[in-house]
Parts: sequence; structure tokens; C-alpha cells
Amino acid sequence: MTTALKTRNIKLLLLASLALVASMALVACGGGGIDEASNNDDIGVAEGGNPTGNLNISNWPLYIDGKTISDFDKATGTKTKYTEDVNDNNEFFGKVQPLLSQGQAGGRSIVVVTDWMAKKMYDLGFIQQIDHDKLTTVFDNLIPSLQSPEFDPERTFSVPWQSGMTGLVVRTDLAPDVKSINDLFDPKYKGKVTMLSEMRDTVPLVMAADGVDPTTATTQDWLDAIDKLQGAVNDGQIRQFTGNNYVQDLAKGDVVATIGWSGDAVQAQADNKNIEYRQPAEGCSIWSDNMLIPVGAPNPEAAYEFMNYVYEPENQAQIEKYVNYVSPVKGTKEVLLKTDPELANNELIFPSEEFTANCFNQVSPPGDPAEVTKVEEAFQNVVTG
Amino acid sequence: MKTLRQRMVPYWLLGPGLVWLALFFVLPMYFMGELSLKTGSLADGYQLTWATQNYTDAISQYSTQFVRAFYYAGTATIICLLIGYPLAYAIAFKAGRWKNLMLFAVVAPFFTTYLIRTIAWKTILQDSSPVVGFLKFVHLIPQDGRVLATSGAVIAGLTYNFLPFMVLPLYASLERLDVRLLEASKDLYASTRTTFFKVTVPLTMPGIIAGILLTFIPAAGDYVNSTFLGGTSQAMIGNVIQSKYLVINDYPTAAALSFTLLVIILAALMLYIKFAGTEALMGEDEEPA
Repeated sequence: MTTALKTRNIKLLLLASLALVASMALVACGGGGIDEASNNDDIGVAEGGNPTGNLNISNWPLYIDGKTISDFDKATGTKTKYTEDVNDNNEFFGKVQPLLSQGQAGGRSIVVVTDWMAKKMYDLGFIQQIDHDKLTTVFDNLIPSLQSPEFDPERTFSVPWQSGMTGLVVRTDLAPDVKSINDLFDPKYKGKVTMLSEMRDTVPLVMAADGVDPTTATTQDWLDAIDKLQGAVNDGQIRQFTGNNYVQDLAKGDVVATIGWSGDAVQAQADNKNIEYRQPAEGCSIWSDNMLIPVGAPNPEAAYEFMNYVYEPENQAQIEKYVNYVSPVKGTKEVLLKTDPELANNELIFPSEEFTANCFNQVSPPGDPAEVTKVEEAFQNVVTG
Repeated sequence: MKTLRQRMVPYWLLGPGLVWLALFFVLPMYFMGELSLKTGSLADGYQLTWATQNYTDAISQYSTQFVRAFYYAGTATIICLLIGYPLAYAIAFKAGRWKNLMLFAVVAPFFTTYLIRTIAWKTILQDSSPVVGFLKFVHLIPQDGRVLATSGAVIAGLTYNFLPFMVLPLYASLERLDVRLLEASKDLYASTRTTFFKVTVPLTMPGIIAGILLTFIPAAGDYVNSTFLGGTSQAMIGNVIQSKYLVINDYPTAAALSFTLLVIILAALMLYIKFAGTEALMGEDEEPA
């Protein structure tokens, strides 16, 4: 091979690689075709489909046991494709938004997202209403505390999948005296504290610890709490804002106290006895992830059938044994008392009224979308400071 | 005299690449450029208002994260070069029959996903790890210090993840180096040192430059390393773009930031080529007879 040919090869290789890297970067960042906005004026009740046809469900990872889906298919003749492609409310929204704004669901008949995201998607016209006449099992068995949440008081478009509490998750051996969210700001734990990067989990708890009622908080209250967080970031008090990878940091002892989720703590405690969920002195935040039927869903009939199926206490108990979050289904505890009393008596899975006495339902910032965005930007500026 | 058919061959060969570029490079670029000049919200839709203030706002508000991204990517690139050049040299000239195995070892981490590789560094650098213990012992970090959730961890992660992009082009150009030129240099009484800097380095310049570009460009836009290995003050511009796009749904600002990043990198590239010369980038520009 001549030198000229060699250098030409390198030249081509280089140009090709550059083009590839550049186009990958662009595809990753690029958006487009999102001019169409819709609203929920013309949203009706979901209907149609074939109860023995295909049913596509999008849910979060580790949110169902290995057997329920095949049992459901066997019992009903439905062919269910269950995909764990919801890792983060915002990320999932970014992924499905271009489709849903065109009235397409990408083949999904059920998606599962958290309360505030369910409301956001419904307000954008992405979610259909549900037919209560076809969901008799669901509404016979839904626990009273979840029957009329603020974001959907009549349950017109959402059915809870699982609930959970946001509170303190601590290493009992390394941070035994952390009992309030305010203890996370104790200089003793400088650089050993993390909080959640989901604003609606972290900020209301910080507010509550300062005596502000999150359910009636003003935009200024939100901004004040975010300022407090910024101060703690500047002091090096807060090590990181995380998704659910805080569990590994706790297990290693890099982090000794966090704001975290109850179900994570149940699972982590099974591996490490020193990890514990603690109800903050000022209360916890209660949220649900909800099953929704998106616009363009190909098979609402099968979706209703599935919702009713998982609201049978026997079937719910099977899921609950694996999932360890709070079950929204009445009678599940009674089923589990017979087979697995330890689980049935766990306050994190079947919390008593005393245990959640101080807790509030998860809240969003008040005001119109512009005001909400202002708060979101302020929080993101702390997280990506 | 070539026939028409013969003259068409290059275009046929270029065709698939050009279609690919048009579909996945030019078109998205156009949409992104248009989006970056719009105003509005997700709920009300976006209108093209030629809002150039999207750019001025984005740049003035996030200059810290831009500077940080280039600082991290630049440092990681230099470290990659310092580690990668001796490594590529050893593989090309000293590895003997181990050559293929060593090349495989360089590429092997790619068999695991990027995320897993990055998260593995959380274990390597955890506060109680031997690595951190050693750094404390030699007083490189204070006794109550840590590595995770600092700039050092992010740079280490970037260096690790992009090292193969440096080593492979370096290896490719070192491997083609005509060893007779090195012998000639020695025959002319040049020291090993002089031979290296006057012969080896200039002849492998295309590899060095390719390596620097392939490392620096993706590293500057990266957000994964900062997400997992960084703390609260290590966000790079990629993290800001991600949060603007996915969390706040402020698509125009996200597009403006992406475009700004692209332009800065292109401008730096132009300057670099002007400074280093196209010959260094492309090799000597001689056409075969």
C-alpha cells in the first residue's frame, strides 16, 4: 500500500467517524415535529377493543411478580405484552409525548405513571376517561383513602397501581438520631446526605419540616424551600440528588441518611438490616402510581379486564408479596395474614392510620403552568448547579 | 477514457452514506434549528417567532456549565492522550504475539453497556474503597475527603469511558509507521528522544488528532458520568440540556443549548485545524497517480 493510499484511508475513517459521532449526538438531543398541541375538551370514555386480543402494558421495573401476567392470560384468553419501560416520569413523558400528541399510543393500552404526571398528561389530552360501570371490582375494592385524590377527585381517568410513602431512609448504625427532615441539614452529616431529584418528593418534605403546610403552600413557599436546598448544596451538606440509586450508596455507607421511598427501604432492608425507613416527625408524602388508558389505545376492553383482575384480593396478594409498596386493594391484608403474616403486619406495606397520621398527599406547585415552570426551573438549577 | 458506468461508481458508493446523513443529520439539524427559535409551551404549542433571545438567555444563564463541560472534557482528553499514546505504542511495537489480545482488551469494556461501566466506578471510588484509602495515605486528598461526587470522579469516568476512542486511532497510525525511518534517524545520530519527537510524533499526528477529536467531542456533551459520579456542583452542559428537555419540557431552550454546543465545538475544530493544519488532520494531501 502506498503512503498516499494509507493517508487517504485515515482521512476517510476520520471523516466517517466524525460524521457518525456528530449525528449520534444530534439524534440524541434533537426534537422536532411538536407543534401540535391538543387539549382534553374532546376526550371521551375509553371503549372498544377485544377482551381476548392483545394487551400492551407499560409499567415501572420490579413492579410485578413473575406469574401474574401469565395467570391473567390463562384466565381470560388475553395475550398480554408487559413492558418495563417507565423508569422516570419525565423521561417516559419525553418518549411518548410526540406519539400521544398525534393521538397514537404506540400500541399501549395501559401506562402507569405517578399522580402529578397523570394529571399533566390528562390536561394535555393524552389520557382517556375510564368507564366505572366496567370497573366494578376496582371500585368495590379500592381503599377509601385513595378514592378521591386531589388530582382526580372522581377517579375519572386513573386507577391506582401501587402507593408509597416518601420519607427518611437511614442507616441505623451510622445515623441513629435522624428523625426529622431537618436532621438532614445537621453539619454532623455533611456530604453524607442525598435527596431525590424528583422535585415533588423532596421540596414538600423540606417545607413541612419548616412548619409550612405543603397542601396550601404558595409559590413563594416553594421557592423558599428551594433556596434552603441551594444553601445546603453550597455548604457541601447535600452530596447528590438521585433517582433510586441512593439505595446502593446507603448500602456502601457513602451516604447515611436520605429522602427516599418506603418500598425501596423494604427491599433494601432484606439485604442489609441496618437500612430502615423512618416516618419523619413532620409526616410523609403519600403518592400513587396509576394505570391510565392513553388516547389511541387499541384495546380498552382488555385494559378494564386487567384492572379488575389485579383488584381481586387474591391476585393482588400475589403481586404484593413481590412488590412491597402500599397496596390500594381492600382485603389483600386478610389474604396475606393467612399465608405470610410478617408481610401482612408490615407498616410500610399496610400502614395503619396512626402510622400515616401526619402524612399528606403528594402535591405540585400551585398556580398556572407558567408559575409551575418557574418553580421547576428553580429546582432544576439547584440539581444541575 | 472512462465509460459513464465507471464514472458513476463513486456516486453509487457514496449513496447510502449520503442518504443516511441527510435523514439522520441534516433533517434533525433543521428541526432543531427551527425549534430553537420558537416560543410557547408544550400545552399551547410552539410558534416560530425567531426568538434569538433563547440563545442569549441560554448562554448567559448556563455559561458555568459550558465552561465546566469543556474543562472536564479537555482534562479527560489530555489524560487519555498521556495514557493512550504509550499504550498504543506498546501494542504496536512491543506486544509481539500478545498484540491481538491487547487490542481486544482495549475494546473489551464495550461488551458491557456504558451505564453499567460508569456505575461500576461508584464501587471502585466509594468512600471506604482501597483506592480512596490509598489516595488519603499519600495525602492526595484530605483525611475527611472523598472522590465520588467531586470533579475528579467525573474526569476519571470520562477518561475511562473514552480511552478506547483515543487508543484505536493512535494504534492505527503507529502500526503503519515505517520502522526504517526510525532506523534512519538513529543512523543520523539522533537520540531516542529526538527520534521520538522529530520522527514518530509528527508521523503519527493524524492519529493523535483523530484521537483527540473522537475523545473530546463526545466527552463535552456527555451527561452520564456527571449524573452518577458527580455531586451537586458537577453538572455539565449535557445535564442541563437533559433537564431542560425531559424535566422542564422547555424544548426551545434545550434546542438552543444543543445548537450552541455544536457551534462551539465546530468553531474550536476550525481553529484547531487552522492551527494544526489540514495536513496534520488529513495526512499529506497527495493524490495517487
